[in-house]
Amino acid sequence: MTSPARPLHPFGPSGPHDSPETSAAKTGNDVRRLTAIALLLRPMGDWYVRPAILALAMLALISPAALKRAWLWNALALLIAVRIGGDWPLADNHIYLLAYWCLAIGLASAAPLPAAALARSSRLLIGLAFAFAVIWKAFLAPDFIDGRFFRVTLLTDPRFEDAAVLIGGLSRDQIRANHEALAALPEGAVHAEPPVIVETTRLKRLAWLSTFGILAMESAVSVVMLLPSAFPTLVLRHFLLLSFCAVTYAFAPVAGFGWLLLAMGLAQCQDEWTVVRVIYLGMFLLVLFYSEVPWAGLMTGV
Amino acid sequence: MSVQLLPAVLLVLVAVIQIGLARTTYLTPWKGGGFGMFASLDHGAFRGVDVVIDGPDRSETLEIPPSLEELSARVANMPADWLLRRLGEAVVQRERRYRRDVNKVTITVWRTRFDPLTLHAEEQTLRKFEFSPDPPAASAGGSE
Repeated sequence: MTSPARPLHPFGPSGPHDSPETSAAKTGNDVRRLTAIALLLRPMGDWYVRPAILALAMLALISPAALKRAWLWNALALLIAVRIGGDWPLADNHIYLLAYWCLAIGLASAAPLPAAALARSSRLLIGLAFAFAVIWKAFLAPDFIDGRFFRVTLLTDPRFEDAAVLIGGLSRDQIRANHEALAALPEGAVHAEPPVIVETTRLKRLAWLSTFGILAMESAVSVVMLLPSAFPTLVLRHFLLLSFCAVTYAFAPVAGFGWLLLAMGLAQCQDEWTVVRVIYLGMFLLVLFYSEVPWAGLMTGV
Repeated sequence: MSVQLLPAVLLVLVAVIQIGLARTTYLTPWKGGGFGMFASLDHGAFRGVDVVIDGPDRSETLEIPPSLEELSARVANMPADWLLRRLGEAVVQRERRYRRDVNKVTITVWRTRFDPLTLHAEEQTLRKFEFSPDPPAASAGGSE
C-alpha cells in the first residue's frame, strides 16, 4: 500500500501545510528563543517588572524545559501588560504586540498541537496588526495619505536624517535650515515673510514612494496573513514579511518591532524549510545590524 | 470560541478602543495599542505641554522639571482630565515642597499642525485645563 503523493514544495518536502505538528517542534523552540532574545535586547519597564522580565527571558534561553512551559510565557505576557499599564499610554505598539505574542506562546504551549496553534496565532496577530496600521494610514490620519507625514518626518526627524541626505539629496546645512523653517508659530500668528523650506525633487519622490510603498506593503502583508493557507499565499506570506523587514527596519528606528515580526514569521515555518528558516535568522541579525551600525551615516561620510 | 484566539481578540479590542479614544479624547494615534505609529504627525514630538502657575504675587511659566517629565509626556500623548488633574496635583506638590503658594495651575496641551502644501507649522491648542488646589492637606479638584 502506498501513501498518497505529496505535492512538491519549494520550501521543502512537506508541502503547503500550515506547520504540521510533527515537523515544527524545532522551529517552535527557535521561535521561543528569538522572542526571549528580543526581550533581552530591549529591556523594558520600571524596576518592578524589568528584573522579572529579564530573568524569565534568561531562564527560557538557559533551560530547554522552561522554554516550553506555558506558565513562563503567560507570566511574561502578564509582566509586559503591567509594564504597559505602568506609564500608559507611553508604551509603543510593538510592546502590546509582544504581550499578545507571549500570551499566544503560553496558550500554544498548553495546547494539544502547539506548533499549529502558534502558527495560527502568528498569522492572525500579524494580519490584524497590519490591518489596523493600514486603517490608520489610509482612513483615519489625513496627513499620511496626502504625503505630509513623510515630507515632514524626512525633514525634521533626526532618525531619518541620513536617509534624507543619502537618498533625498539634501545637505546637512539644508536640513538645519529646514528645522528652523518648520518651527511652529503660536496659534493665530502668521509669518511676515514665510521661511523657505527646501525640498529636493529626490526628497519629494522619496516621501511619495515611502507613503504609498509602505501602505501597499502593509496592505499586502495583512491580506496574505488573513487569507486561508494555500500554496501561493504561503510563499507570499514569507516573501512579503521578510521584504517588509529588510526595507523598513533599515530606516525605521524600532528594531524591537522587527525582531518580534521575524520571530512571529518563523513560527509559520516547518522544520524542513531550512532555507526559509535560515533567512529568518539572518534577517534577525540584519535588523540587529541596522539598529547598531549607523550604516547610512557611514555611507554619507558623517 | 477557542482560547487560542484570545490574543487576537485582545488585539482587536484594544485597537478599537484606541481608535475611539483618539477620536474623542485626543489620544495620539501613535500610542495606545492601535497600530497608528508612523501614520500621523500628531505624536509626542509635535505636541507640547505648557504649565502656568499663579500664586499670590506671581504668574509664571514652569519649565517642566525632570521629575515631571514622564507625567508631562503622558499628558501630551493623552490630555484626559484624570491625567491633567494628576499633573496639576504634582505641580502643586512640587511648589509646596519649595514653600511656594499656588492659587491656580493652568495646563495647555497643544499640537503642531502642518500646512498640507507649504508645510508651514502652527500650534493648535488641544486642551486648556485649570487646576485650583485646596489648601495643603485637603483634597483638590479641577475644572475646565
